[in-house]
Amino acid sequence: MKPHARQGGQRWILPSIQTLGDVTETVAAPLMDVRAKRRWWLAFIAALVLTAVGAVAIGFSLAYGPGLWGNNTAVVWGFPIANYVWWIGIGNAGTLISSLLLLTRQKWRASINRFAEGMTLIAVSIAGIFPILHLGRPMYFYWLAPYPNTMQLWPQWRSALVWDFWAILSYLLFSAIFFYVGLVPDLATLRDRPGRRGWRRLYGVAAMGWQGTPEQWRAQERLHRTLAAIAVPLVCSVHSIVGLDFAASLMPGWTESIFPPYFVVGALFSGFAMVVLIALTIRRTMGLEGMIVPDHFDAMARIILAASIVMGASYAAEWFSAWWGGEAADRRVVVFELTGAYWPFYWAMLLGNVAAPQLFWIRRLRTSPAALIGVSIAVLVGMWLERILIIANTLSRGYVPSFWRLYAPTLVDFLILAGTVGAFLLLFLIFARLLPVVSMHEVRKLLKERAQ
Amino acid sequence: MTVLALATFPHESAYLRGRHEMVTHEYRLVGEWLPYGSEALGPGPGAHGIRAAAIVSGVLGAVGLFALTVWSMAFAYPFNSGGRPLFSWPAYIPAAVEFGAFTAAVGGLIWFFREGRLTRLHDAAFEFAEVARASQDRFVLAVACDGGEDANTVLAILANAGADHTRLVTP
Repeated sequence: MKPHARQGGQRWILPSIQTLGDVTETVAAPLMDVRAKRRWWLAFIAALVLTAVGAVAIGFSLAYGPGLWGNNTAVVWGFPIANYVWWIGIGNAGTLISSLLLLTRQKWRASINRFAEGMTLIAVSIAGIFPILHLGRPMYFYWLAPYPNTMQLWPQWRSALVWDFWAILSYLLFSAIFFYVGLVPDLATLRDRPGRRGWRRLYGVAAMGWQGTPEQWRAQERLHRTLAAIAVPLVCSVHSIVGLDFAASLMPGWTESIFPPYFVVGALFSGFAMVVLIALTIRRTMGLEGMIVPDHFDAMARIILAASIVMGASYAAEWFSAWWGGEAADRRVVVFELTGAYWPFYWAMLLGNVAAPQLFWIRRLRTSPAALIGVSIAVLVGMWLERILIIANTLSRGYVPSFWRLYAPTLVDFLILAGTVGAFLLLFLIFARLLPVVSMHEVRKLLKERAQ
Repeated sequence: MTVLALATFPHESAYLRGRHEMVTHEYRLVGEWLPYGSEALGPGPGAHGIRAAAIVSGVLGAVGLFALTVWSMAFAYPFNSGGRPLFSWPAYIPAAVEFGAFTAAVGGLIWFFREGRLTRLHDAAFEFAEVARASQDRFVLAVACDGGEDANTVLAILANAGADHTRLVTP
């Protein structure tokens, strides 16, 4: 892929897309009106199998309890919380990317915001499963909600777990509204296109009678911007709260004020890596080469590069704080991170999160599919390792040496993780068949700017 | 007799030209439908009150949840053993802020439906096939005019402005 030298709207849309009708047809044609391709079915079946495996592992966990996991008396969090933080990080990125780029009037957002927001909804829904599973008594998860009950029981509002409950629920519902507001005009397009009557009716109901009058466009754009302005601090607060799950505790290596911003950047980092992978896949498989162009990858690679530097600085700040603070337990955790039982994973994390993205200093690699895939996978793996190591390193080397135990995940842990990856893929495949993965009305606007 | 002149335009510039001509000739625009939000239309009805609705509902949601938190912890806590839990207000803020953001979105969405006159799944405008094109690839203009000579003049002006399709509809 070669980036284009043209400027403005021309840069983000290729000459193969000429008219407003081209935009509509390119995006809407692969949806429900045509039969799914063989490769879609193959991916669907693979994802379904993976999801089923994860569901069975979760079923066993519910039946026999958390004893099936690698969690022990010292490392009480393990995979479930690591998976939760990883998925919520990916989930935070979609709305953050979309809203930040909308507020800063970045034209290139038009082609990537829709599937990034879809990614958010799916990832946050998956993330929400883990704290419930990890409760130990997941059937009582609704006790986290304040409701009148005969036991006169209220949530413990000072608990980070309750903060998580409100953060995830509010963020998920907010993101669904944000997603829907951007989607309404495109639902009307699907309603008005020739196609199967049943689907058109469904799209019509979801479009709520959208006509595209100037009043509706003004209302839609005003609300979209208003929600974007709320979304940016919301996303930062949600992942800050996830960071506070750790930072508000009293464990060595966790009690750090850097955690909230460091988690937010980490979310953006892993989210962009996932967006790059999805963008590469759908542009090829759904014929979107004219709208998701090399310059999009160039821009996203630059952001991944910048985020990797912030991540590197954050790791360095952790090491420095431990050394400069002089607290023996903090220093012990850092030494354990670098040389302890999990050292290969820690160095692999540094390789994925800090070293690999440095390849994007080379302009050519920022648009090379192989480099983009390789670095994005390295970042996603690196970020997952970071999540599990934050937990395992600190809890394996707490304040009391007699309480030091190592963590070893079980097969059930891995199957649940694999199941959620399958569920993400499965839900995304369904999303890509049902709804336009690119915002048609925003790309049409971009086309107008190119014409000018 | 008043008739309706309907015109579709393939480009925004042609649509704006046609619209300008109609306004200049003092014809009444009955309806406009666009495939994307054009900034050229400038301010007008549609966006009023959305921000206010979002802010008010957001504040109400946040204050409401904060009040529930305070009440459930500091006043309604079931055990009073040497006093109820302390009024730990900093710890009550995160949930209130998150919930406030959600209620702000709900308030904004409701106001959006109201301002955009949405939730009306059936509307007379959907009777015109041209309106369906507006959500895909055309700008559509509906102009009220007198039948006969006047209507033909309107159609000619619209065609000159760049309309690729025009027709008269008798209401």
